[in-house]
Amino acid sequence: MSDGLTYLVGEEKGVRELLLDGEVLPLLKGVLAAGAGAARLLDQEGEELWGTAAPGARGELLVDLPLYLEGEPVARLKVSGDPADRDRLKACAELLRVALDTVLRNNLKRVLTTEIHTSVVNSSHEALLQINADLALSEARYRELAENLETRVKERSAELKRAHTHILQQEKMAAIGQLAAGVAHEINNPLGFITSNLHTLQKYVARFCAMLQFYRDHLKLDLPMETLSSQGENKWRELKLQQVMADVGDLLSQSLSGAERVTRIVADLKGFSHVDQAEEMPVDLNEELERTLGVLAHALSGRAEIVRELQTLPTITCKPQLPGQIFLNLVQNALTHAGSAPRITLGSFFDGERIRLSIADNGPGVPQGMRGQIFEPFFTTLPVGSGTGMGLAVVYEAVLKLGGTIAVADAPGGGADFIITIPATAGVCQLPRTGADSPLS
Amino acid sequence: MIEYNEKERRMVLKLVYYGPALSGKTTNLLQLHDKLTRQGRGELMVLDTTGDRTIYFDLLPFFLTAPSGLKIKVKAYTVPGQVCHDATRKAVLQRADGVAFVADSSPAEAESNFVSFDNLERNLSLVGLDLDQLPLVIQFNKRDLPDALPESEIRDTWGPTGIPVQMASALTGLGVTETFGALAQLVYRRIDARYRLEEGHGLSGEEFVRQLTCVRDEGSEGEP
Repeated sequence: MSDGLTYLVGEEKGVRELLLDGEVLPLLKGVLAAGAGAARLLDQEGEELWGTAAPGARGELLVDLPLYLEGEPVARLKVSGDPADRDRLKACAELLRVALDTVLRNNLKRVLTTEIHTSVVNSSHEALLQINADLALSEARYRELAENLETRVKERSAELKRAHTHILQQEKMAAIGQLAAGVAHEINNPLGFITSNLHTLQKYVARFCAMLQFYRDHLKLDLPMETLSSQGENKWRELKLQQVMADVGDLLSQSLSGAERVTRIVADLKGFSHVDQAEEMPVDLNEELERTLGVLAHALSGRAEIVRELQTLPTITCKPQLPGQIFLNLVQNALTHAGSAPRITLGSFFDGERIRLSIADNGPGVPQGMRGQIFEPFFTTLPVGSGTGMGLAVVYEAVLKLGGTIAVADAPGGGADFIITIPATAGVCQLPRTGADSPLS
Repeated sequence: MIEYNEKERRMVLKLVYYGPALSGKTTNLLQLHDKLTRQGRGELMVLDTTGDRTIYFDLLPFFLTAPSGLKIKVKAYTVPGQVCHDATRKAVLQRADGVAFVADSSPAEAESNFVSFDNLERNLSLVGLDLDQLPLVIQFNKRDLPDALPESEIRDTWGPTGIPVQMASALTGLGVTETFGALAQLVYRRIDARYRLEEGHGLSGEEFVRQLTCVRDEGSEGEP
């Protein structure tokens, strides 16, 4: 215990510990007053604990009574006096014994009660101190938590926002990477046959040179014209110049058209990415859609059927990369989900206030329950590792930047129909350049 | 053990009646006081109570003397059963030589029995005693209740533990002396192993138990 006191319940108590002089002596003196010569209380060994005697009084031992504590004899009460008073003093002594016994018993009870009470109070106090310390600690923790909660939430939000932006950026980069791979393939193809044609032309030119050298050498010999002519004819055949001449034309025109194809692809790509146009500018969404189809040509040609239901649109003013991001991701999304024979229907419509774009596929469509989630970052129905779940999030972000909305509906005859509505407000809208109803080719 | 004084040839043992509130711990001591001869016991001391409920403890001392002259005092205590008096229970348990757990046979009190036994185990370890080593008997009291748990069920539950189980009805005195005797026997075995009561003091286990549980002849002697 904290104060160094320890109590053992049941520890043996001595008579000396339990009785006080002030309690015993008045009782013993009472017997003297009643006529006894002496009254003494002795311990079990015969040593006097308390005693009192009348001056000069001598008498014989008249009474010897045991005193009990917890049922054990612990002391003897001895009263002496005049034998003539034996009966009276015996009664007195008996009364004294009962009184001492009562005091002893009550004192024992009081001591035991006090001890256990103190012991309980001490241990309760210790328990309370412990509880108090625990509470103080817990309070400090909560206070600290409460004070920092707002800051922590802010920090965490900023962190999340940074991570989100970072992932969107990554997704854009991934899409560009994918696109670059497709485009590289498109460019490699014509480059391949152009290079091959140039190699062939190099050999042909060598043969022409050989023919010319032949004539130059033989003219110096001053041979008869006939001989020269027939030898020249032999050489001509030997060099197969007849076939070579027929081939050269094809090779050249083929190579030229291949070079033109590369030029067109690069122009498409440049237009699509708008690398040199970071500023806002008037944009025709139909043109942007065509450009997207152009750069996706390697993925579409021979594989997907494209249906155009396009109407003339007013131009809107925006950063020209945004429509490209929207169309690229939506067309790629349609290709991914539309199965083995994709049919993609592209629609555009202007009602005088808003431009409505529709990109529909013939895939399985989007179940009603998923429509709220598909534009969320990381939501994907593809197996783990196949999709980032960011494509439609990029679309959503871009549509938002155009001040528009995007929703998904059921396409006629099944499939998903992504519908984008963009306001053609006065500030950003220019009147259609041709008749509003004439469909584009 | 409270005290062992070789010079004074004196040993003081402590037995504790533990158990849930109102299971009959004080009644056990009252019955022992009434049934056993005055020769071997002191007076029952009941400390202050609140509405007849024990709040400190009750004490009944017993005495016996070995043939060697060794005086043995056995102090039997009750603890307050009410949950709020846990600190008192802990204080009373200190240096106990044996525990009689008085359980209530009423099915409604099964949970209280369990909680109290759990409390006993925890408090014993807090005062440095090991439940597995300490002499322990279990008394299922109130067998006179009409809905008392069947004895077979109790034996099935407690039999595997090896702890002696005694059926009792403390109000009528049934099983009270037997519980005390069973505990005394276990305590003797443990004390004998260390203090050589049989070899050194000529006190056998049977004699130890007999002296502590000597039933009074009807009307043979009066109170002091």
